[in-house]
Amino acid sequence: MFPESLERIVAMSAFEQEQELKDRLSLIETMIAEGRQTTESWGWTFVLWGVAYYVAIAWSVWGNPAIAWPVTMITAGLITALVAMRRSSGRPATSLGRSMAAVWISLGISLFLFGICSGFSGHSDQHVVIAVIATMLGMANATSSLSLRWKPQFACAVVWWAAAVVSLFGTVNQSTIGFLVAIFLCQIVFGSYMMVSEARERRTNESKSGENKSGELHA
Amino acid sequence: MPEPLSESATDLPELNPIIHGKLRLALLSLLSTVEEAEFTWLRAKTNSTDGNLGAQLLKLEEAGYVSMEKKFVLRKPQTLYRMTEIGRQALTEYVQALKQLLGAAIHS
Repeated sequence: MFPESLERIVAMSAFEQEQELKDRLSLIETMIAEGRQTTESWGWTFVLWGVAYYVAIAWSVWGNPAIAWPVTMITAGLITALVAMRRSSGRPATSLGRSMAAVWISLGISLFLFGICSGFSGHSDQHVVIAVIATMLGMANATSSLSLRWKPQFACAVVWWAAAVVSLFGTVNQSTIGFLVAIFLCQIVFGSYMMVSEARERRTNESKSGENKSGELHA
Repeated sequence: MPEPLSESATDLPELNPIIHGKLRLALLSLLSTVEEAEFTWLRAKTNSTDGNLGAQLLKLEEAGYVSMEKKFVLRKPQTLYRMTEIGRQALTEYVQALKQLLGAAIHS
C-alpha cells in the first residue's frame, strides 16, 4: 500500500509541476496581451472624424462654405489631440504606437494643408479634391493595416481608393455619393467596429489577467 | 529498482530563478512589449503594492535585465523602466526552457 500512495504523491507533484509551468506560460501570454493593448484604443477617433466630415459637408452645403471645413477640422483636431493626450498620459511608448501616430499625424497635416490651400487658391475642383483626400486616407489606412496585420482596415483602404476612382471618372453627384458612402463605411462603421472589438478584447484581457492576478503576483 | 534517467531528461534545462518569480516574470513580459513604462503603469497592470513592485524591479535591475530612469515631466517625478538586451535574451531563453520542460512533461 505504501508504494502505491507514494506513487500517487509523486504523480500529483509531477502534475502540479506541469500545471505551474503552464501557469507561467499563460502569465507571459496575458501580460504580453496587456502590454499590447495600450496601442489599440483608437476607434473613437474614426467615429469622431466621420461625424466631423459630415458636419463640415452639411455646413458647407446649407451654411457658410468659407468657414465650414476649417472650423470643423480644427475643432476635430483639437478634440483628438486633447483626448489623446489625456488617454496616453502614463501609458508606455511602443515603437508600433509611434509609427502609427506618425502616419496619422502626417495625414492630418497633409489633409489640412491641402484643404486650406486648395480652398483659398481657388483650385478646388470637386473631383480632384475628393480624389486626393480619398487617396491619402486610403494610403494611411493601408499603411496602418499592413503594419498592424489587420485585414479589416485594408478593406477601408480599398473603399477609399474606390471612392477616389469614382470621383475622378464619375459625375459630380457620383463623386459626392462615393465620398459620403466611404465616410460612412470607413469612419462610422469601421470606427464603431473597432470600439466594439476593443471593448471585447479589454473584457477578455481583464478576466484573463484577473485570473492570473487572483493567484497573487508575488515574487 | 528505480528507472535510470533517460538522456533527454538529464538534458532538460533549468529555469532562470530570477525570472521564475511570478511578479518578475509578469514585469519582464510587460516590458518586452513596450519601449519603456512608468512605475505606476506597471503597478496597475500587475496589481501589486509599491513595496513589492519596487523590490522586484530592483532585483531585475541588479541582474541587468531592466534599466531605470528618473525624470521630471511637467514638474512631476516619473520613474521609467526599460528592458535591456540582456533581459530580452534571458526572457527568450526562459520561454524556450519552459516550452522544453512542458514538452518533456507531456511526453513523459
